[in-house]
This record gives sequence, structure tokens and C-alpha cells, in this order.
Amino acid sequence: MITQERYRTTVKELLANGSIKMAIGYKPGSTPDRRRPLFIRTSEEAEQLVLDSTCVQNLSGYLVSEGLLSDEKRVGIFLRPEGVRSINILAAEYQLNADQIVIFGFDSTGREVRPLDGRSAREFSGLLNELKEKPLQIYKEPLLERIEKMNAKERFDFWQEEFSRCIKCYACRQACPMCYCRRCIVDSNQPQWVNTSSHTLGNFEWNIVRAFHLSGRCVQCGNCDRACPVNIPLRLINQRMANEVLDGFDHFAGLSATQEPVLASFKKDDTETFIL
Amino acid sequence: MTRILFSDKLDNCVAKWRSAGLAVIGPVQEEAISRYAAVEKGTDFDFGTVLPDRSLKELFFPQTEPMLRYTIKKNEIDTADFTPPQGKRIIFGARACDASGLEIDDPLFGWDYKDEFWFQRRNESVIVTIACTKADDFCMCTSLKLEPDSTKGADVLLRPIDKNKGWLVEELTDRGREAFALISEYLQESSEPALPTVVVPEKFNLDACVTWLKNPENFESKFWKEISMRCIGCASCTYLCPTCHCFDIQDEGDTYSGIRRKNWDSCSFALFTMHTSGHNPRSTQSARWRQRIMHKFNYFPGKFTVNSCSGCGRCSRQCPVDMGITETLQAISNL
Repeated sequence: MITQERYRTTVKELLANGSIKMAIGYKPGSTPDRRRPLFIRTSEEAEQLVLDSTCVQNLSGYLVSEGLLSDEKRVGIFLRPEGVRSINILAAEYQLNADQIVIFGFDSTGREVRPLDGRSAREFSGLLNELKEKPLQIYKEPLLERIEKMNAKERFDFWQEEFSRCIKCYACRQACPMCYCRRCIVDSNQPQWVNTSSHTLGNFEWNIVRAFHLSGRCVQCGNCDRACPVNIPLRLINQRMANEVLDGFDHFAGLSATQEPVLASFKKDDTETFIL
Repeated sequence: MTRILFSDKLDNCVAKWRSAGLAVIGPVQEEAISRYAAVEKGTDFDFGTVLPDRSLKELFFPQTEPMLRYTIKKNEIDTADFTPPQGKRIIFGARACDASGLEIDDPLFGWDYKDEFWFQRRNESVIVTIACTKADDFCMCTSLKLEPDSTKGADVLLRPIDKNKGWLVEELTDRGREAFALISEYLQESSEPALPTVVVPEKFNLDACVTWLKNPENFESKFWKEISMRCIGCASCTYLCPTCHCFDIQDEGDTYSGIRRKNWDSCSFALFTMHTSGHNPRSTQSARWRQRIMHKFNYFPGKFTVNSCSGCGRCSRQCPVDMGITETLQAISNL
């Protein structure tokens, strides 16, 4: 509650003195356990701000939608550490200018919410480097361990079963801060490169295309997984790819705004011996 | 005196229907989600959920469906039609909102072109609705002037009796009577009362909303931008909706042969209205959300005299950003 009150005051001050044109945060949802995104432009709107442990959605995707940042004015946003990583990746991929983003950082343990120091992404670099060394709990998920023990056939069957529920609503894509492409490959229809059909093959194509595209870019915020209306454990795919990239290239996505994208950069000591 | 179907006879009924050649389908709780799916015995059903995660629509209008196979030869094109899958079935335990959704969509699928895939399945399905005795925060059938025990779209209505012992049977159509004649030996006369249906509070004033939507001045209202600011533009609301019916036709294959398919499509997507020129008449998410609301409560009733919403609440229940029809219509009611 104290964190929430302090941040309300800060947001009001920054809006009043013109430092930011808007702050993106959370407000109560349609049931007590739900939170919904809030766009704060006035002090009355700031009164609706809620900050507690149920604020889990990574809001950073809103920054790159429909030209919000095109006037170069600053925008504030409430972010957990994963969200800060998203900002760094978006900056590294030239989707936004990190200096335009004012961060209201927070994290929670149990029901306790605490503020994080720093207002700009670069001030979080110490914290993010610690995260790289100390992976989150989600990294050791039982289901992930179960899948790792499967042979290739069992794993294929497992994912076939999971993807059979996919309806191609693209909630995973739309919820993902990294899926900012103006035109997604599956929406490229002249010609139609990827089938739109939501049958077994089509669902595999979609989910695998997305998994590859997110390798080395996913921050495990969980937006896709929570958005999926048919409960496909999407976090596990991206988690696995993140682990591969960490093991293979010592790359932890989103450490800084100048970090080179792992799959779009080359180092002489990369482990892929076949390249040279 | 009414007839009662006791739960402990459900196994016999399922067996009887199956032996008479009817596939039996009902609400099933799977590991990850609940949905309407084929059952083999009484215990496969799960009548405990408020309503399945996925709607009944997909059993009549699946997410992807082959229509024809084509082969392009030097001087001719060979085509072979796919026919809708044949087979009678009984859907036991539909919710009133889902059954209503089917009837709402009937005129749409039969308006100029009669969609044989839809109607073949409609004609071969017996819908047995079970009246709701519980609801959740998102249920809103009463706001749409429907009820937890609406008979719309149903061939038989069942009303639960106490302690999950069974249901009072109200046969509504010949198709329903025929299906229940098959199991008449398991029905018993009884005077046991039905449980009261759940009270679903009215959440918005539908008439006021419709009047507001019909006013052309409100098409460009700032309201649309405000209410849909957080919409991320996925299709989860449209695809889980029991009445959303938009589809796209796609040829899948190579230059010379392939399959023409009918796939779900959604007004939430920018691509839905994208012109070949690159111009998009609905270029913002707010324009797309407005379209969805206008279609359901203005254009559709304008053409078919019924709103394209049965109040199941799935749009709000499943929305990744906690939006939905309820919030929008509540906001319009309060304007």
C-alpha cells in the first residue's frame, strides 16, 4: 500500500510538471483478483492506480503500439524486472528510445510489493545482471523437467497434443512485447507464406515460428502463457529457448539497451564451428 | 407429474443413444480446458462447470474446414467437393447461452447462400439444454433478455433436481421427443421439484445501449478510443464467442493442387479489413472494437432482428486484458 501511494504521488508530480505525458499502470479489474491496464493522463486517473502482487502483466508492449511515442514525449510505465528487460530489447532493436521511457519499477515477494530503484532502464543494469546469475523460480518448473526427460518422439507427441487446442487467435503474439512486427509473417498474404488454417500442421507452424523468433528475445514475463485462452504452456517453449541461448551464447536477453541481439550478431568465439 | 431422468441412468441412456447411432457429446473437463466433446459413458460428462471454456459453436462451425479439393491441369481444373460430415448426434448438457447462440446464427448462415456445412450439422443434432443453477461474475444472459433456462435453440430442456440426482425433462421439439423416446424406459414419473435457476443480475440496459449505438453521431465518439485503449487486438473474444461467425476462405497447397478451406477469421485483426492497396479502413484497434460492438448490437439486429450475443460472458472471462462486451455496454449505459 505504501509503495502504491508513493507511486501515485510521483506519477501526479511528473504529470503536473510535464516530465511525462502519460503513465501506464494497473487498476482494479472486473473481479477482485484481476487487474487491468490503466493509462494515466490526469491526477484523477492516477487515483485509480493499484500496485500489488497481482499486477503481473508486462505492459511494455503498449509503448510500441499505434504511435504512442512518436511525439518524442516521455511516457512512464510500471514494470517488473522482466518488463525493464523488454524495454532494453525494444531499444536494442530500435523500436523505441530508452530515454523516452520513465520506469516505475516494482517487484513482489508473496503479497509484498516493493519499489525498485531507478527511473531509466540503464539504472537497472545491476539488478538485471544479478537476475542473470540468479534465475527466477519459473526456471525450474516441474513440467519443464518432465519434458526434458522425454525422448524426441514423446516430446513431439506432447506438443502435438498441446498445440491441437490452438485456435490461432494470436493472443500470444498480441500479448507479447516482442511481437511488434508491423506485419507478422503469418499475416503476409501476398503470397500466403504460412497457412492460416488451425489444423495440426498449421498450429505447429505457427507456434514453432514464434518460438524461433523469440529465441534470445523472450524475457519470461509470462504474458503469452496467461493470454492463451486454451492454456497451452507457452512459457515452457520460450523458457527452453532462453536456456539454450544462455548456455550456447551466454546471452541473457535485455541486459542493456545496447546489447546486440543474439541471433543477429556474430562473435568469433561463438560455439558454432561450422560457420567459419 | 413430470418425467425425470435420474443421473444414475445416464450410462444407460448414453449406451442407448450410441447403439441407436447417435454420437453423444457433452461438457467435458479435460486436463487443460473444458469443452463440449464426445463421451462414451455417463461419468465422462462434467456438469459442474458454469460453462465450458470453449463454446458450442465449434461443433457446427469448426475453426478450419475443408470445402473442396482442386487440381489445375493444362486445360481444365478438376474439383471435388468435401461434403459436411454426416452423422446424427445428441448434445447433452448444452448451456442455454450456447444453444441460443446457434439459433442466433441460423439466419446468418441461411441468409443468401445456405451454408450446407452449418445446416447439415444443425439438422442432425439434438440439443439438450440443462438450465443453470449457478453462474459466475461474467455471466450476463439476463442482460441480453435471455434466461439461464432459455429454450432458444434447444430441443429438450432439463431442469436439475436436488443433490445432482437428475433432471426434470421438458421436450420442446419433435427432434427432442424422438431422441428421448429412445430412452423412455429410463425416465420416471415424479413430482420432485426442480432446483431454482440461478439469478443472474442484469448488468446493463440493453435498450439504452442499442439506442446509443444506432445514433450515427456516436460512431465517431471519443468513447471508442477510451474504452478500447488496452485492447491488444487478439481474437480470443471472437473465437470463443458462441455467435461470432466470420471466416476466411483460403487455398492451401501449391500452384497445381490443394484444398480450399474455410477458416475462422476475426474483426479484431488489422488484416481483416486490409485492402490489397495497403489501405485499411479500420486502421486502429478502437475502430475494430467499435465494429465488433456495432455488428453485434446494431448491424446484425438490423438485418436479422436479433442481437448477436447470448450473454455467455466468455469475451470478458477470457480476455487477456480484462475487457469485454459487458464493460463496454455498461459504460454505454452510463453515458
